[in-house]
Amino acid sequence: MKHPPQDQLALFAGGEAGWFESWSVRRHLVACPICRKRAADFSQDRQTVRNLSVELPPEVEWNRLADEMAGNIRVGLAAGEAIAAFDRPSDDRTSGVAGARTSWLRWNAGWAIAAASAVFAAAFWLNLPNPQAEHLLTALRAIRVDRAGKLVQPAAPAADEVVVEASGSSIQVRENGGSLALLHPRSDGLTISVNMQGSAGARYIDSDTGQVTINRVYYAQQ
Amino acid sequence: MRSSRLLALVAAGAASIYAAILPKIDLPKDSPVAVIGADYGDSTETARGGAVVVDLHASLSLRNSSGRHIRGITLLVRSQEVTPGSKGSVTLTSLDVAPGEAFPVRMDIRLLRPVTSLGGPLELGLDGVLFDDLSFYGPDNLQSRHTLTVYEIEARRDRRYYKALLAEGGPARLRQEVLASLSRQVDRPDMEVQMTRASRATNLEPERPVQFALLHLPDSPVEPTEGMAKIAGNEARTPRLEVHNKSDRAVRYLEIGWLVKDGRGRQFMAGTVPATLNLPPGEKAQVLKETLKFPQLGGGPLSIDSMTAFVSNVEFSDGKMWVPSRADLGDPRLQSVLAPSPEEQRLVQLYRKKGLTALVDELKKF
Repeated sequence: MKHPPQDQLALFAGGEAGWFESWSVRRHLVACPICRKRAADFSQDRQTVRNLSVELPPEVEWNRLADEMAGNIRVGLAAGEAIAAFDRPSDDRTSGVAGARTSWLRWNAGWAIAAASAVFAAAFWLNLPNPQAEHLLTALRAIRVDRAGKLVQPAAPAADEVVVEASGSSIQVRENGGSLALLHPRSDGLTISVNMQGSAGARYIDSDTGQVTINRVYYAQQ
Repeated sequence: MRSSRLLALVAAGAASIYAAILPKIDLPKDSPVAVIGADYGDSTETARGGAVVVDLHASLSLRNSSGRHIRGITLLVRSQEVTPGSKGSVTLTSLDVAPGEAFPVRMDIRLLRPVTSLGGPLELGLDGVLFDDLSFYGPDNLQSRHTLTVYEIEARRDRRYYKALLAEGGPARLRQEVLASLSRQVDRPDMEVQMTRASRATNLEPERPVQFALLHLPDSPVEPTEGMAKIAGNEARTPRLEVHNKSDRAVRYLEIGWLVKDGRGRQFMAGTVPATLNLPPGEKAQVLKETLKFPQLGGGPLSIDSMTAFVSNVEFSDGKMWVPSRADLGDPRLQSVLAPSPEEQRLVQLYRKKGLTALVDELKKF
């Protein structure tokens, strides 16, 4: 009996193997108690690491990476749209027989590229480990919501708009394309407060000094 | 020889880049605190796309150069070039810094500016210091005097309350109350908020008139008597709220707290609205003028269902202040949504980290 390699078993145990790999390892495990035991050990190790990872510094987190990924994809899409608009051919080039032939060739090439893209996308998706697939989906969904949002919200943010935002990791004011953020550690006791005349604050206890710290950002008028 | 010159050049370049991101600290000459040390650790400046990100991790060491104990301090953070009108602040409260004693102030600041903008240094300044006799020093541009005094009065109230519990029922009773506070803090809804200062109305939803619910705190010197607004989405337009001064002293400033229930039935403390006024004893006055724009929660749109107003603190014309008593805070409508005072939060955290004995020792200090 041929056993799957260790790395494949580890990926399977962590739910990170691709669809085909998972199917093949699962089939093998039904008949092989040794590999079943190894896979169980990998799962246990993974759980231990996950417990330890709770102690990781707050900056190491998938949500932030996903945000950055979404940002990069968003920038890529915007750049693609800009380039497409720049390269679009004028109508007179498609007139006449030569134009029709060019058009027919272009359609064929288009279909070929579309088919190849579909095959590539399917293969990529089937081999993408589950957690990464989820992150990619989340990122794409965020972009879709952003783009749909632009359609239903006709008014773009005004140039003079000032935005104050508070979250679990920072409190910031955005203005004129720049931002000033005061960062705080993620904490159970974090308290966000809002003064509706133009300021928001985040209060936490500094774990090293035991001091009560209140970070606050203010709109322009104060 | 050449390589050592090159190394020196690189070092000088790195030093000048590092120096460019360091803040400019500007304290008044007669300031009651002095900077005795500053560590900027792994502060960095990096280019990200079309922007430059400055990550400043500052750990300042300040010394109390006055003759009184410091209870609270607010430092101003400003970047004139990046956010010309807006600013930030870092406040430490519930302190007990004796004369001559040093204390740390840590701040982590991220400044993002377009590559095209000039990057002037971050400016750190002093907005105010509150002493144990409730006297104040500082320019007070951010209303630090009022805020720090409210925190200090709340701290005294809560220390008194915990000390009384300790005296009446011993450490077991104290532990019971601390655990109840801890449980309330865990159950309180998280808030992620976004507020926009827009120069125009931001939603086109139809308006509907809503009468405010009013929460009367028995000990409050000022109480809301009636109020209403036209609600549209997260905005309360043309709001009206009348308050009555029940006390025998004139009131010059107060803050109204707002409890909001959204369309999904979630109730939360949405924010406060300050009002500067001159309200003689026994008189009534209107305190709201402009549209109240409540923050969006968790990135999603907020749809206001109902609003409840209460007076959260009052400043009399003689400078004395009133904050709700522990009995007032026992109102179930407030208890579930109102954050504990900074001092209560600190004491509870002390219990969590170091245990009951440490908390009892802390309460005995002053």
